[in-house]
Amino acid sequence: MAVNWADRLSAFSLSPTEFLSGTTVDAFLAELLREIRDDRASYAVKVLLLSPLCEYPHLLCPSDSVGEETALELMSVFAQCPPKFVQFRGHVLLALTSVLVCTSCMSSRSPASQDFLDVLLEISQNTVDLHGDGLSHSLRNIACDCLRELESCSPGLLSQHVELLDGLRHRETSHLHQAYAGLYTLVLRNAVYQLTQETGAGGEQLKSLLGGNTVVAWEADRDSILSKDSGVLSSLILGPMGSVPTLQTGPDCKELRSILSSLLEESYLLTPLCQAALLHRLTEVVAMVPGIPPAIFRAQLLRLLGTSKVCLFHTTLLMKCAFTDSLFSAEDELFMLKRLVVLSQHPLLTTADKLFYIDCILHFPENRPISCGDGDEALPVLLTPQLASVLMPTVFNDSATLLTRLNLMSLVYLEEGDDGEGKGPAYLYEHLTALLHIVESRGSRENIVTFFRATFLFLMYFCQIESYSSSLVEKLCELYVHHTHLAPHLISLADYIQDRLSESNWAERLLQAMQRAITEVSLTQLTLPDLHSHLKMLGRVAEEGKIPQQSTLRFLYSIITPSSSTLCMSGDWHLGNRVLAVCRRLLVHPSLDSVLVPLADILQHLTCHHGDIDIQDHARLYYTLLTTLSQEKLAGVLARGATERGRQIKTRSLSCIVAESEGLTRALTIHRTEKAVFSVVVVNSETHQHTHAMSESDLPQNDADNNPDDANIILEAYRGQFNDPDFASEITLSYQLVHTQANDCCFDQLFSIRLHFSLTDDHYEELSDLSIPCLFREGPLPVVKLRLKPRQPFPTTLQASAIFTTQDGLSWHTVLPAICVAFQQVFAPLPAPSAWGRSSKLILFERLWDEICSESGDCAVSLFCCQLEDAALSSLSEKHFLPYLISDLSHKEELKVLFFLPPQSHVLLRIKLEEDAAHFNIATDKWQLLPHINSYLLTITSSQEDAHS
Amino acid sequence: MSLRALWIISYEKDGNASIRFSRRFSTVEHRAKCLAGPSYVAVPEESVVLQLLLTELGLSDPDRSFVALRDDCLHRQRSPALELHVDGPGKGILWPMLAISQGPLILACLCLVDAPLEPRPPLANLLSVSQGLSLLAGLQTFLFGSGSKPDSEGIASRLAMLPSILLQVCPLGTPLDVPVLGASNTPTVPVPAGNQKQPAWKTGVHRGRAVVNVALKETVRSMQYGQRSRQDLWDVYGTVTCKCEVEGVLPNVTVTLTLPPNGSPLQDILVHPCVTSLDSNILTACSVDNCDGSAFSGPYKFPFSPPLEPFRLCSYTSQVPVPPILGSYQLREEENQLCVSVNLKLHESVKNSFEYCEAHLPFFNRDLMGAVDVKVSSGQVDTSKEKNLLVWTLGQRFPKSREVKMEGRITFSGPTPGPTDPICTQLTAYVKLYFKVPDITLSGCCVDQHSVQVYSAAKPRIVTSRDLQSKEYFIWNSTGCAPVSSVQMML
Repeated sequence: MAVNWADRLSAFSLSPTEFLSGTTVDAFLAELLREIRDDRASYAVKVLLLSPLCEYPHLLCPSDSVGEETALELMSVFAQCPPKFVQFRGHVLLALTSVLVCTSCMSSRSPASQDFLDVLLEISQNTVDLHGDGLSHSLRNIACDCLRELESCSPGLLSQHVELLDGLRHRETSHLHQAYAGLYTLVLRNAVYQLTQETGAGGEQLKSLLGGNTVVAWEADRDSILSKDSGVLSSLILGPMGSVPTLQTGPDCKELRSILSSLLEESYLLTPLCQAALLHRLTEVVAMVPGIPPAIFRAQLLRLLGTSKVCLFHTTLLMKCAFTDSLFSAEDELFMLKRLVVLSQHPLLTTADKLFYIDCILHFPENRPISCGDGDEALPVLLTPQLASVLMPTVFNDSATLLTRLNLMSLVYLEEGDDGEGKGPAYLYEHLTALLHIVESRGSRENIVTFFRATFLFLMYFCQIESYSSSLVEKLCELYVHHTHLAPHLISLADYIQDRLSESNWAERLLQAMQRAITEVSLTQLTLPDLHSHLKMLGRVAEEGKIPQQSTLRFLYSIITPSSSTLCMSGDWHLGNRVLAVCRRLLVHPSLDSVLVPLADILQHLTCHHGDIDIQDHARLYYTLLTTLSQEKLAGVLARGATERGRQIKTRSLSCIVAESEGLTRALTIHRTEKAVFSVVVVNSETHQHTHAMSESDLPQNDADNNPDDANIILEAYRGQFNDPDFASEITLSYQLVHTQANDCCFDQLFSIRLHFSLTDDHYEELSDLSIPCLFREGPLPVVKLRLKPRQPFPTTLQASAIFTTQDGLSWHTVLPAICVAFQQVFAPLPAPSAWGRSSKLILFERLWDEICSESGDCAVSLFCCQLEDAALSSLSEKHFLPYLISDLSHKEELKVLFFLPPQSHVLLRIKLEEDAAHFNIATDKWQLLPHINSYLLTITSSQEDAHS
Repeated sequence: MSLRALWIISYEKDGNASIRFSRRFSTVEHRAKCLAGPSYVAVPEESVVLQLLLTELGLSDPDRSFVALRDDCLHRQRSPALELHVDGPGKGILWPMLAISQGPLILACLCLVDAPLEPRPPLANLLSVSQGLSLLAGLQTFLFGSGSKPDSEGIASRLAMLPSILLQVCPLGTPLDVPVLGASNTPTVPVPAGNQKQPAWKTGVHRGRAVVNVALKETVRSMQYGQRSRQDLWDVYGTVTCKCEVEGVLPNVTVTLTLPPNGSPLQDILVHPCVTSLDSNILTACSVDNCDGSAFSGPYKFPFSPPLEPFRLCSYTSQVPVPPILGSYQLREEENQLCVSVNLKLHESVKNSFEYCEAHLPFFNRDLMGAVDVKVSSGQVDTSKEKNLLVWTLGQRFPKSREVKMEGRITFSGPTPGPTDPICTQLTAYVKLYFKVPDITLSGCCVDQHSVQVYSAAKPRIVTSRDLQSKEYFIWNSTGCAPVSSVQMML
C-alpha cells in the first residue's frame, strides 16, 4: 500500500494535470482524505498523502466550498490525531493553511478558517510542555509559521492580537521566541500600514493599537481597505521611485520606540534568515512612522556590515535604500561601497553570493542618485576604476563571473570617458584576446559560448573605438578560417550586433571580411564540413544589401563545376540545398542586376547537372523566376512573408527549411494554438432537403401504386433494400468552417486543413478525417460534408480537432469547439425506391403503422398533445415535416409523417387536429427513441406557439 | 522574502537530468499571483521547469554544438538570478530563479517578487534573493556533508531527510533557518535558565568540561611569471575557526587576534553572526583601498557567544611583502624534447618545517611522456606517465641554502595524446605548488592562548593552533605566454 501511494503521489507531482486526467479531482481528493483518515495507514504515508494538499490545493479544491469541506475534514483529523505524531500534525497544519489560503476561504473569513485560526492561536499560546520532550515546541513553531503565513496572505488578519503576541514574545525564553518575534513584527508592520491608510490616524491610534485597544470601527472597515490595496503585500522599500505611506504621529512614540528597541536588541538571538526578515520589517515600520528616527538601527549596523552572511548584509543595503542620508553619511556610503567590492571577489564566498554583490554594486542605493532608478544598471558615482579594478575578469573565472565582471568593468570605463586612448578598454580587449586564444586551442563549448558573449558585450560598449572593432573583425575572420564550425556563433554575433547597434556597420564589415576569407581560400583544401559552414556563412552574407556578391557567385560556380569539385556528381542533396539557399537570397539581393548572368549560369548548371532531382527542380524554378520576372516581381514573390526584422525568411519552402537548420525544428514541430482558431458550424440544411422532397413528390405516379392489395409486396420490397448493409445507412450533414473572433492575424489564412473527429459515445461508427484546402478569413466559407453512420440513431457530440498550416509555413494543431448532432439532424426521408409514388409510400406507412401497433418488442406507440391552431399546425408542418411528409400537405384531416433514422429505425406520426388540441400519434419500432421524440416535438411546437401567441 | 518553489536536480555529464526533490509553496504562489496581477506567470510542470533550467544553465542538448536558445550571444546568464522563458523566447518570464550547482546536483529556487514587476526591480531590493541564496547554500552544505567528496548514497539518504528538515527550516516557503549538520531533526529542548532567552541558532546547551578550540588557518595564493613585464602576484587570507564547549545559555567568549609590531593590518574582515559587537576600527582596513600607514593594526577583539557546532568566527585578508616560496620555471623546446628547469627558493622569514611540500609539473596538449631524465637537488621525482605529470616531492624541509633546483629533459613519444587543456598550449605551462607549514602565519597574525577570555564559572581548557597552506600557487613558465589577466598589469 505504501509503495503504491509513494508511486502515485510522485506521478501526481510530476504532472498533476496528466495524473488528474486519469481520474477526477473529486475522486482523488476523496481518496486522499479517506486514506488520511484510515487508521491502518502509517503516519509516514499519511504525511506523504498531505503533500498534494500542501503543494496543489488550488487543483484539488477548485472551489471555496470544496476547500471549506476539506478544511473541516482536516481539522477533525488533526483533532483526533494523538499528540505524539508531531510531524504528521505539523503537516496537517500546513495543509490546512494551504487549502484555506489558496481557496480564498481565509480571505472571506469562512467558518472553517475562523476555527483554524482559533486552533492555531490556542497552540501558539499553549506553553505547557506536558511530555517535556519538545514535541509541543515543534508544533508551536509550525503553528506560529502558519499564523505568520496567514497574516502575510491576509494582512491585518491578526491585528487585534497585537498585544497578545507581544506578550508571548516577551515571556518566551526557549528558542521559540524567534517565531513569536517574526510573527509579531509582521503583524505590527501590517497594522501600522493599515493605520497609514486611514485618514486622520495618528499617534493616538498607534498607541491604542499597541495596547490592544483596537478601535471597533476598524474591524468592519478592514476587509474593504485590504481588498482595495494590494500594496500592503509588497515591500515598501523600493528605491528612489517608491513612496512610502506615512503615519504622522508627532515626535512622541514612546511605546513603539520601546518595542522596536527591544526587538532590535534581541535580534542578535535570531537565526540570520529570521534576523534579516525581522530587520526588513522593522525598516518598513520605521520608514512609515517618521516620528521614529532611523538612528534606532545604528547600534546594529557595524555588526551587520561586518557579517559574512549575505542575507544580513543585504538588510543594510535595504536600510540604506529606505533611509539614505538620514542613517548613512557620505563616509558610510563610501565604506559600504568598498565593502561591496570586497565581497564581490572575496575568496571565501560562494560564486552566487559574489554575483549577487556585483549586482548590488550596479544597483547601489546611493544617497543622492543621479539617475532615477528605472531598474537599469547604473554605476554609483563613487565607484572609480581604481576601486573596481579588482573586479577585472580573468581567464580563470567561471563563465557567469567573467561576463558579469566584463559588463561591470566596461561600464566603469565607459563612465570614465575612455575614448580609445585610455587603458581601460585596452585591458578588456586584451582579455578578449586571451579568451580567443583559448577558443583557438580547442576550448570547450562553454569557452566558445563565453567568448562570443564577451565579444558581444565588448562591442556593445566599445564598438565605436575603431582600432578594436577592426582588429576584432580580423581576428574573428582568422578564427573562422581555422574553425569553420563556429559559423553559427559568428552569424549569431553579427545578427545581434546588427539588431542592437543599428547605427554601426560592424556586422556588415565582419560579414564582408568573412566573404573575402571564404572566397579566397583554395578549393583543394576544402573539406565537406568546411563547405557546409562556408555556404551557411555566404547565405548570411547574401542578406546584406550593401555587400557586393560577385565573389560569392564565383565561389559557388567554382564549387559546382566538375573541374574543381565533385559536388555535382555526388548529388548531395544537403549541399545542393545550401547552394540553393544562397542563390535564393541572391535572387532578392538589391544588386541582382549586376550578378544576373553568373547567377543564371549557376542555376542552369544545377538544373542540368546536379545529381539530385529535387535540387534540379528547385534550381529550375529559381532559374525560371530569375529569367522571366522583373526584379520587383521577383522580390515580391520571394520576399513575401519576410519578418519585420527583415532577416529571417518566414516562408519555409522545403529548400529553405534545410538551408536554415535552426528554423528546421520549429518548422517541423506541430504547434498548439491557445484557443480554437475556427469552428465547425452547421449549415442551415432545410432548404436543401426541402427541394429534394419537393422534387420527389412531383414525380409522376406509377400505375402500380394504385394497387392497394399489394401492401405486403411493397413492404417486402422496401425491407428487401436493407439486405445491402450500406443501404441508407448514412446521414450527411453539411457544415461550414468559420473563423472564430479576430484574434490573431497570423491565422487569417489557413491551408491544408485536416479535420479529425472523435466520438464521445459508441452510437456511431468512427469518422474518417476530412481535408479542406484552405480557409481565408475574408473569403467564402468552405463547406464540409460529414457522413455519419449511426449504430443507434441518438443525438451525440463529436470532439473535433484540426491540423493546418499557416502562411508562414508552420503547422498548428487546434482543438475545435465540440459539434453537437441534434436528434432531428439524424432524420432522413423515407428511403423508398425512386420509382415509388406517393400512394406506395402511403401504403407502406399504413403497413408499418399496423405492424408497429401489433408487435411488442422494441415497438412502441405514444401520444403527444399540444395546443395548436390550424394555421399554426400548417406552418409547423411546412417548416419541419415537409421532407418527411407522406400524405399530401393539403390533406388537412390527418398528416402522416415518417422519419427514417438510419440504420433501420422509423418514427411515424399521425397528426390530427381535434377540438382544441393537436394530437400527434406516434409509432416507432425503437422505443428508446421516445424521449428524444418527445423533447423534439416539445421544442418545435413550443416555438410555434410562441410565434403565434 | 519568500520562495515560491524549490528544486533539487541531479545532472550527469552525459546529459541525463532528473528532479530528485521538489517543493512548491502554494501560499507563496498565491501571494505571487496577487502581487503580480495580470503579469503573473505560473510555475509550469516539473519536466518543463527542468528543461528550461538546463537550457538557461547551458546544459541542455550536450551533444549539439550550437542551439540558439542556449548559446546565442545576447543571452547572458544574469546569474545568480536566471530567467525562465515559459512560453517561448521573451514571453512568460519566471524570474528570479536562483540556481547553484555542485558536483552532480543543481539546487534551484524561485523567489517571490514583493515589488511591482514593471519595471523589473533590482535584485538588491528583493530580500527574498539573499534569503534564497542563504537557504540554497545551507541545503548544499547539508547535502554534501562537510567538504569531503560527495557520495551518491550519502546524498540520497540526506535527500530523503529533506521533507522533515524543511518542516523545520522552511515549512511554508519562508526560510527560517538552514539545516544544521549532524543535528537531529527534533530540536533538543533547552532548559530555560532564568530570564535569558535561548538563541534560536543554538539547539541546546553544553554540559561537561569546558574546552575552547581556536584554529587559525592562512591560505596563500600566487601567480609568478618570472618576467619583467609582468608583476608577480600573491595574496593571503586567513580564517579563524572555533569550537567552543562552554556551559550556559548565552556564554561570553572573546578571541583576540594580534599582529607583530610591524605587521600590516588585517583587511576585509568578515565575522560570524554570533559576534555580538564590533569595533569600527576593525572594519576600516580594506584591500581595495589605498593603504595608509596609520591604519589600525590590532589587537582585534571578537566578543561572541558561541553556537554548539564548530563555526568560522572570522576571516581576513592580508598584504604580505613577499611570497613564501619564490620560483622560476623555464621550458625550452628542443627537437622532440622539452628542457625543464625549475628553481624554488624558500623565503627566510618562513619556518623551514613543512607538513608537506610538493611541486606538480603537468604537461598538456602533448603526446604521452616517453623518456624522463630529470635531476633534482633535493627531494624526489615521481612520474605519472599516463597523466603527463611530474610530481616533485620536497618533503619536510628545504636544504640549508633554502633553494632547490630541477633540471632535465623530457621526450613526448607516447602512442596516444595526453591530457588537454585549452589554456596551457605550447610553452604556456606551470608548476603548481602544494604545501602546508604548521604553526606559522604569513601575516604574523596569532591567537594567544591567554587572550581567549571565557566568562564562565568553570575555567576552560583553551587550545589554539595556526598553520599556513597554499592554494592556486602557480609558477608560470617564463619563456612562454602566461595567461595573464589585465588586472594584474594594472596593479
